[in-house]
Amino acid sequence: MTPHIRFHQVTVRYGSNVVVRDLSLEIPEKQIFAIIGPNNSGKTTLLKCTNRTIDFVPSARVTGEVFVGGEDVFHVPDVYALRRRIGMVFPLPVGLPLSVYENVAYAPRRAGIHDPAELDRIVEDCLRRAMLWEEVEDRLDLLGTRLSGGQQQRLTLARALSLNPEILCLDEFSIAIDPVTTMKIEDILREMKSRTTIVLVTNLVQQARRLSDYTAFLSDSQLIEVGPTEQVFTRPAQRLTERFVNGEFG
Amino acid sequence: MTREPKTRHASVAYHLAPGPNVRPADGAALPPQGYSTLEEALQAAGCYRVEAPDAPHEAEHRAASHLDIVCVPSGEPPAEASRWRRPRHERSVYNQAAGSGGEGTELLPWWSVPFAVEELGRLDKAGDLPLAPGERLRLTYREMFAPSALEMRKRTKETAARYVLMVVAWGLVAPVLVILAYLVYKAWPVLGPSFLLQNPHDFMRSGGIWAPLAGTFCLVLLSLLVAAPVGVLAGVYLNEYARDNWFTRIVNLAVMNLAGVPSIVHALFGVGAFVLFAHMGRSLLAASCTVAVMTLPVIITSTREALASVPKAFREACWNLGASRWQTIRTIVLPNSISGILTGVILQVSRAAGETAPILFTGAVFFTPIADTGLASWFPYTLQRPFMALSMHLFTLLTQVRGVSDEIQYGTAVVLIALVLVVNSLSIGLRVVLRSRKRW
Repeated sequence: MTPHIRFHQVTVRYGSNVVVRDLSLEIPEKQIFAIIGPNNSGKTTLLKCTNRTIDFVPSARVTGEVFVGGEDVFHVPDVYALRRRIGMVFPLPVGLPLSVYENVAYAPRRAGIHDPAELDRIVEDCLRRAMLWEEVEDRLDLLGTRLSGGQQQRLTLARALSLNPEILCLDEFSIAIDPVTTMKIEDILREMKSRTTIVLVTNLVQQARRLSDYTAFLSDSQLIEVGPTEQVFTRPAQRLTERFVNGEFG
Repeated sequence: MTREPKTRHASVAYHLAPGPNVRPADGAALPPQGYSTLEEALQAAGCYRVEAPDAPHEAEHRAASHLDIVCVPSGEPPAEASRWRRPRHERSVYNQAAGSGGEGTELLPWWSVPFAVEELGRLDKAGDLPLAPGERLRLTYREMFAPSALEMRKRTKETAARYVLMVVAWGLVAPVLVILAYLVYKAWPVLGPSFLLQNPHDFMRSGGIWAPLAGTFCLVLLSLLVAAPVGVLAGVYLNEYARDNWFTRIVNLAVMNLAGVPSIVHALFGVGAFVLFAHMGRSLLAASCTVAVMTLPVIITSTREALASVPKAFREACWNLGASRWQTIRTIVLPNSISGILTGVILQVSRAAGETAPILFTGAVFFTPIADTGLASWFPYTLQRPFMALSMHLFTLLTQVRGVSDEIQYGTAVVLIALVLVVNSLSIGLRVVLRSRKRW
C-alpha cells in the first residue's frame, strides 16, 4: 500500500507551546484513516499541516516534512493547487455569506470553472453526496448562513467535495449532524473510498471503529500507536490506547 | 448565668403580633395573657395566614406580610415590647404553597406554614431560638415568586439608574435643538433657493453663498478622492495581510498619532509638503490634499474595524478551498464589511466640510472674483487656483467685513450645519440599509 500522505518527524510549535512532537505517520491511499485522541493532542494541527493552512497561523512554526503524493507540501510550486486537491471539513459549521449555490460553486469558480452547465452539475452532485440536495433543491438562492447548523455542516461537506479532491479530511464532521444523517454520510464515505483517501479526525471512538481501516491514536502531542483499526481496538500495544478506546479516560 | 433560662422561662410570656392582612385561619382569639412557652406560641402561629388580596396592587404589600412572636415579662401587655428594634430572628415562609423544604431564609423560604412551625419547633428544642424579654421572632410570609427585599432594592436602583442615564442622554439633544432653532430663527429672512444659488455680491454684503458652497463641495470631493482609496487600501493591508511585527506596530502607532495631531499642525504640514515642496501653490488641490491627510487615520481605523467584524471562520473556510488571500477578501470579506467602511468614509465628509484650519494657509481665501454670468459663475474654481469655502466664508463674514447683515451670517452658519447634518443622516441611513442586509 503506497502512502498518500506521509509525515516525517513533524514538530509544530505555537509560540513556545509544542502541539505536535516529532511525529512520523504514513496514511495509505484509498483507505479511511481515523485519527483519534483527546482534545489538545494535535489532531487538527496535523490536518492544517497537510493543506498548509497552518501558514495562516502567525505564531506556528513547523519543522520536519509532510509529503502529499510524494511532494513535500512546504515546497510545492502552487500551494492553492495543493489545497484544491485536499477537501477539508472542520467541526464548526460555516456557511459562507453567499447563496447555497454559490457556497458550493465557490471553489470551482476560484479554480477557473465558469461554464454554467458544468457548475450546475457540480453543485447538484456535491449537495446530493452531502445528503443536502433534497432539503435545499428548491431554494438554492437562500443564504448559506440562514441554514440550520446541521444543514450548514453538510453544506461545508458539499463545498469540500466540490473540486473532487483526492484527499478528504473530516475533522469531527458529525458534531452538528443528527445520527441518521451521520449514518448516511458514513455510507457515502465508504463508497467514496474507492477513489479518495479519507482522513477522519474524531472524538467518537465508535465512529472510528465502524468506519476506518486504520487508526492512529494521538495523545499529548505525540503519536502513541497506529495500526489496522481492528488491531488497535482489540489488541492495542499500548496501555494508554486500550484505556482510551475503552472509554476509561479522555 | 446557668439559672437564666429557668427564670426567663418562668417570668416571660409570648404574644403573637400579626402584621397587616394576617389573620388566624380559624378565627380564634389571642389569649390576653399570651402563651407561656414558645412552643405553644408557635402552634398558635401555625393557624395564621395572609388573607387573600382584594386587588392586584396589593401583591407588593403582601410580600411584606409578617407575624411577630413577641417575648415580654409575664403580666406586661405586649405593646410595651420594643417595636423599633430589629427582630432577633427573621424567618421566611411561603404563604400558600404546600410541602416540606426550604431553609427559612429570605432566598429559600420554608415551603409551607405547617413545615415552618415544625422546623421552628425543632430549632426551639435545639436551643437555637433564644428570646429575651423585649425581643421578637418575625415570620415573614412570602408570595411564591414575589420579589424579595433585595430584589426590591435592586429594582429601585435599576429605575434610578435608568432615569439618570436617560436624562443625561436626552440632555445632549437639548443644546443641539436650541442652537439649531436659534440659527434658523435668525437666518429665516434670507433662507431660500436664491441664497444658496447666488454668488456673493457687493463685497459679500449681499447675495448668496454659492461660491463658497461650491468650494466646500469641491474640497470634500477631492479630499475623499485622495483619502478614501489610500485609507481603505491601507486598512485592508493592515488588517488582512500585515503580520504582527515591529513594522506593523510602528504603522499602527503612526496612524493613531496622526489622528491626534491638531488640525492647525496639519495645515502647517500642508503648507510645507503640498504648497511649497510639491509646488502646488495655494490652491484647491493643495487644500484637498491637506484635508485628505487629516481624514486618513480615521478612514484607516474604521476600515480595519469593519474588516475585523467579519468572522475569521469565513476566511479559513475560503483558504481551505484553495482561495488566495485576495480572492477571499474580494469575494467574502469586502462585500460584508462595505457598510462599515462606507460609514467611516462618509463621516469624514462632515469633518472635511467643517474644518477651517487646514485650508486656511493652503488654498482657501476670503474672496475670489467670480464672473456674474455664464458657466464660470457656476463652476468658479480650477485645481491650481485658490477657492472660497463655507467655513472660511463664515469666519470672513463675522470678522473681516463690515456691514454684513446678521441674516447672511446666520444663514451661512445654517447651511454649514445643515450640510453636516444631512451627510451624517445619510451615513446613518446607509448603515441601516446595509445592516438590514447583513448576511449571517
